[in-house]
Amino acid sequence: MKQTLHSAILDNGIILLGEELPDLESVAVAFHVPAGGIHDGPGRCGLASLTSEMMLRGAGTRDSRTLIEDFAMAGINWSNAVSTTHATYFGAMVARRLPEAMPIYADIIRRPLLPEDQFESGQQVVLQGLAGTDDDPSHRTLLALKKLAFPAPWGLPSEGLAGDVEQLTPAAVSGFAHRHVRPDGMIVAAAGRLDWPDFVTRMEGLFADWQPGDAAGVQSGARGGRWQHVEHDSQQTHIAIAWSVPPYSSDDSYEATAALSVLGGGTSSRFFTEVRERRGLCYSVSAGYSTQRDFASAICYAGTSSERAQQTLDVMLEEIERLPASITDAELGRVKARAKSGLVMQQESSSSRAGGIARQWYHLGRVRSLADELERLDRLSVSSVRNWLERNPPADLSIVSLGRNPLEVPRELSA
Amino acid sequence: MSFRHETLPNGLEVIAEVSDSALSASVGFFVNTGSRDESDQTWGVSHFLEHMVFKGTDTLSADDINRRFDDLGAAANAFTSEEDTVYYASVLPENQREAVELIGSILRPAIREEDFETEKLVILEEIQMYDDQPPFGADDICRAAFFAGHPAARSVLGTLDSVRGIGIDQMRDYHRRRYAADNVVLAATGAIDFAELVETAKRVCGDWEPCPAAPRACSLPSRACGGGDEVIREQVMREAAALEYVIRLSAGPDGDDPDRYAAKWLAMMLGDESGSRFYWEFIDSGAADYASCHHQDFLDAGVFGVQLSSDAESIEEIIERAEEILADVTANGLTAGEMEQARSKLASRIVLSGERARRRLFGVGLEWAHSRRYRSVADDLGVVETLTAADLGRLLDRWPLSGSHATVLAGPLESSSAGGEPSVAAASKPQ
Repeated sequence: MKQTLHSAILDNGIILLGEELPDLESVAVAFHVPAGGIHDGPGRCGLASLTSEMMLRGAGTRDSRTLIEDFAMAGINWSNAVSTTHATYFGAMVARRLPEAMPIYADIIRRPLLPEDQFESGQQVVLQGLAGTDDDPSHRTLLALKKLAFPAPWGLPSEGLAGDVEQLTPAAVSGFAHRHVRPDGMIVAAAGRLDWPDFVTRMEGLFADWQPGDAAGVQSGARGGRWQHVEHDSQQTHIAIAWSVPPYSSDDSYEATAALSVLGGGTSSRFFTEVRERRGLCYSVSAGYSTQRDFASAICYAGTSSERAQQTLDVMLEEIERLPASITDAELGRVKARAKSGLVMQQESSSSRAGGIARQWYHLGRVRSLADELERLDRLSVSSVRNWLERNPPADLSIVSLGRNPLEVPRELSA
Repeated sequence: MSFRHETLPNGLEVIAEVSDSALSASVGFFVNTGSRDESDQTWGVSHFLEHMVFKGTDTLSADDINRRFDDLGAAANAFTSEEDTVYYASVLPENQREAVELIGSILRPAIREEDFETEKLVILEEIQMYDDQPPFGADDICRAAFFAGHPAARSVLGTLDSVRGIGIDQMRDYHRRRYAADNVVLAATGAIDFAELVETAKRVCGDWEPCPAAPRACSLPSRACGGGDEVIREQVMREAAALEYVIRLSAGPDGDDPDRYAAKWLAMMLGDESGSRFYWEFIDSGAADYASCHHQDFLDAGVFGVQLSSDAESIEEIIERAEEILADVTANGLTAGEMEQARSKLASRIVLSGERARRRLFGVGLEWAHSRRYRSVADDLGVVETLTAADLGRLLDRWPLSGSHATVLAGPLESSSAGGEPSVAAASKPQ
């Protein structure tokens, strides 16, 4: 499959990435600004999210309403999101509308009005969102797990903590925007029916005169304990388990993701077979991979009725322990088939590719070609995965349960 | 892009939207059956059967099926709604034949006693999982109140009691009647080899028996038809919930009504997640956590669904303000600017979702299963480009948003009536 990838770096540090998918009508563009939750600062958890919310409330000559109306008239499917590391401003549209979209994003990123008279509304939006996640038990369980398993501030929720958000001020927001919304460390990725030279010229016109700021470092703190139960009055008990695995930038990450896929990836995975199919213990059970640039984690999840939660946890722990010595050729073959399909099907979506190439650049400092990815997948073997697992067996598990009753965790894990 | 269609001798229809540029192939079996085809005794059987289909045939075990889907690298799943049960997979084009063979085979499940009991436990888990999540049952209760007396009133999953009560013979009988050859459409989109698709269907499904399906037509309550001015309101207490959740249903055009496009347009102006009336009133100000409006159509009914959520103290004020907006729009319509913005957004979304074969599969398959019609992306775009203010006026005249409706709240607020009986009042007439 022919693939056309591009990259360029502006003098001020902005990374430009592109992938041409000429069979599509659409183009997607994502502006990743290095203003994520890890920069919130002590007692200000949610500052990055509130800043991102405020940045959409008018920019340049557009007031809050005009900004949203301009998005609509250009048919831009827009969204914004704040992760631990980045604030992302995203848009997907029919390709010919891209030249209309880019100046809107340039305004948002370079000339946000941050109107003080809308500060309370913005704060309310963030607080309402937080109250909404209180009603999502699986989300709460995973948040609690991250806090246990990851060092601060990586384990803190980028959506914020209500107590902190209530204390934030307009000055904190403008200070955060000034310091962290900056060209160096920003990645802009476009994919779809893309005219790359034209895209670069427009980006230069809109962003080249922007000066980089001082580097912003992040101090990593300690991680939480190993085991926690969160009281919640629900019919189901939710269980989440994590342990450390190599980050995406490590070549071993292929072995790690393959092993996790055998454990809890598809419907033929160990978890699905043993927990759901054989025992009918739950509807939802899975294992996955979550990575930052310097560390990564295996994350397992199950939601089950309270009276069967202990058995569910026990079976999951058994399967995790059994994994290293037992992976078969057939299982690995299925993992490869699923990964290969996923990679090829991504090429049908401008949004997936815009996200994918930016993620790779952030982690690797380059974009891996599809051919390279497929070749690396082919090199996975039962012995390479087993060898990796023997050297790195699941250890130091962090476990969270959320529900009516705490579960019993084996002594060696709860120490 | 080309459309192909063939009917097998036993009545099974095969259709495809074939794309020259797609990289993947999506295939789906669309069975014309869902919760509205159940009785009180079999409430939940359509969805339960959907699970049992993956538990094995006379020659394949559940493990075999799961392994084969993963061997194919398939993104495969199934869903059940009020009117449809759909089994689908997206694969690389070289795996088209095997994907169709596999799904076709499992649609003749063994329905073994032991699997039936184990899978029942999974269904009961699924019901409890949804019961713990927003909107905490308000959607099912509102549907039941709005469609009272009509089969569309039943929730798809059923209740813990109804599912416990389903017998294996009831399921086998339901399967024989509803999964007959002439009640199934095999639809495909993307990089499809149509000749091979038909050949595979003949080989795998050629011996399926037809069975005259029971007619689905059923008289609707006046609320569901847009008549009358009855207002139903119910409040369910869910102490553990952080927010109060509101579902409101009123009548709209059905799936065969030409005004259904105008209905999607109107819903976007009223309650899209960005730039709509609700957005500016509730979301931009942070007054509500969520406020949306959508249009959903069935074979013989349609609804406008409004969803709101906020902290419990503010919810009454928010409901009142939403009713004012609905009354204002019903009486005065929307502005030219709102219409153009929504048109532009709608067109963009049609193009974007049309690019992915797996999303197209549902549009193409359901349209054919319901009405034996094929509509291309260009056809849909053409309609959206020509919608006018007059269309909107006619729509609001036929289905006034401020007319008869049902509203259900679930959250920390105390229940309104101890006996659980919904309260009924008369709606205010639009001006």
